[in-house]
Amino acid sequence: MKKVYQVAGHKFAVVMPDGDRAWAEMEKYEPFLTSDTGNYIFTAELINEMPDTSSKQLVVVGNQGKDMARSELYDWEGKWLLEIAPLLDAPVRVMMIADKGFTTAQFRVLGSWSFSVNSVLMLLYAFSTAHKDTLLIHASVTMNNGRGYLFLGKSGTGKSTHSQLWIDNIEGCELLNDDNPALRVLDDGEVRVYGSPWSGKTHCYRNIDVPVGAIVDLHQAKKNVIRRLSIAEAYASIFVSFSGYRFMKDMANGLHATNEKIVMTVPCFSLDCLPNAEAAWVCYQAVTH
Amino acid sequence: MKTRKGYTLRSLGKEFILVADGLEAVDFSRMISMNESAAFLWKEVEDKDFEAETLVNLLMEEYGIDHEVAEHDVKSLLETWNTANIIE
Repeated sequence: MKKVYQVAGHKFAVVMPDGDRAWAEMEKYEPFLTSDTGNYIFTAELINEMPDTSSKQLVVVGNQGKDMARSELYDWEGKWLLEIAPLLDAPVRVMMIADKGFTTAQFRVLGSWSFSVNSVLMLLYAFSTAHKDTLLIHASVTMNNGRGYLFLGKSGTGKSTHSQLWIDNIEGCELLNDDNPALRVLDDGEVRVYGSPWSGKTHCYRNIDVPVGAIVDLHQAKKNVIRRLSIAEAYASIFVSFSGYRFMKDMANGLHATNEKIVMTVPCFSLDCLPNAEAAWVCYQAVTH
Repeated sequence: MKTRKGYTLRSLGKEFILVADGLEAVDFSRMISMNESAAFLWKEVEDKDFEAETLVNLLMEEYGIDHEVAEHDVKSLLETWNTANIIE
């Protein structure tokens, strides 16, 4: 059985056996279901047996900390083999074999369906859109007055908390996505933010999009202070908020081009903040005026 | 001396940044911002052996400045590059 989904205008296909339990994990993808007109950025197919990959050659291990997922990328018979674990020292939970352009992939789930299906689809989405003016970015996004405001920051900084502070204290705010929205630069240069099926622990899977009002990099502090970032600072803040294999030249070039277009167009700020209502007001007033 | 491997110089509007793109780079989150003349020198000596005097001569030719000024600029630039650990 094949289903086709569309996120930020890019269609992808998921192929799994009829009635397979993995379809239960796809419930939050339902708002993104679309008609099957072909032209997918990637196809991901669930398989139950992995081929013998013992001749694999390790290329790189990706990990950003003890409580973060670990991914091992191998070269195997001219394809990529990716093995992913939910934590630095946890066993591999999902394996994926993909062509070198990440457009056709097969994956095998060894544990946690939710983690596996989301990891595979997020990575394939990020990699296959890298040169399509699209960034899947780690952020919480709140909408106000028809614009989206993205809050960036390291894990645990309080991105979701800051979104909630806007919603609780500023009239007319709504959450768009709480973990991994997509940014896309359109042909006319407009930068829009799109909801996605990837929203972390918050059930907020909204298939809507708005122009970006501002991007704010959050830092925990003892008082609330906001300042505008320079182009280079804004680029660096965004750079650490998305995934990609930067040693792959095409991918790195694509991600750079998108990041550059975003910082040239969208005002970016750094907010030192407390988790209080004043933080939301300080931020709101600076980014909307 | 030599530039370290694993970095890519990228333009950002009118500015430049050096990004750790390669598998050799230790810290992928680091980037170094460069002005136009620093970026020019980096491009010229990337992946080559060079001396301070190489950079001084390049600056004099490209910008038509005298030796003393170029030497002063190169000294401070090399300090920055050494601190940033992007040359060896």
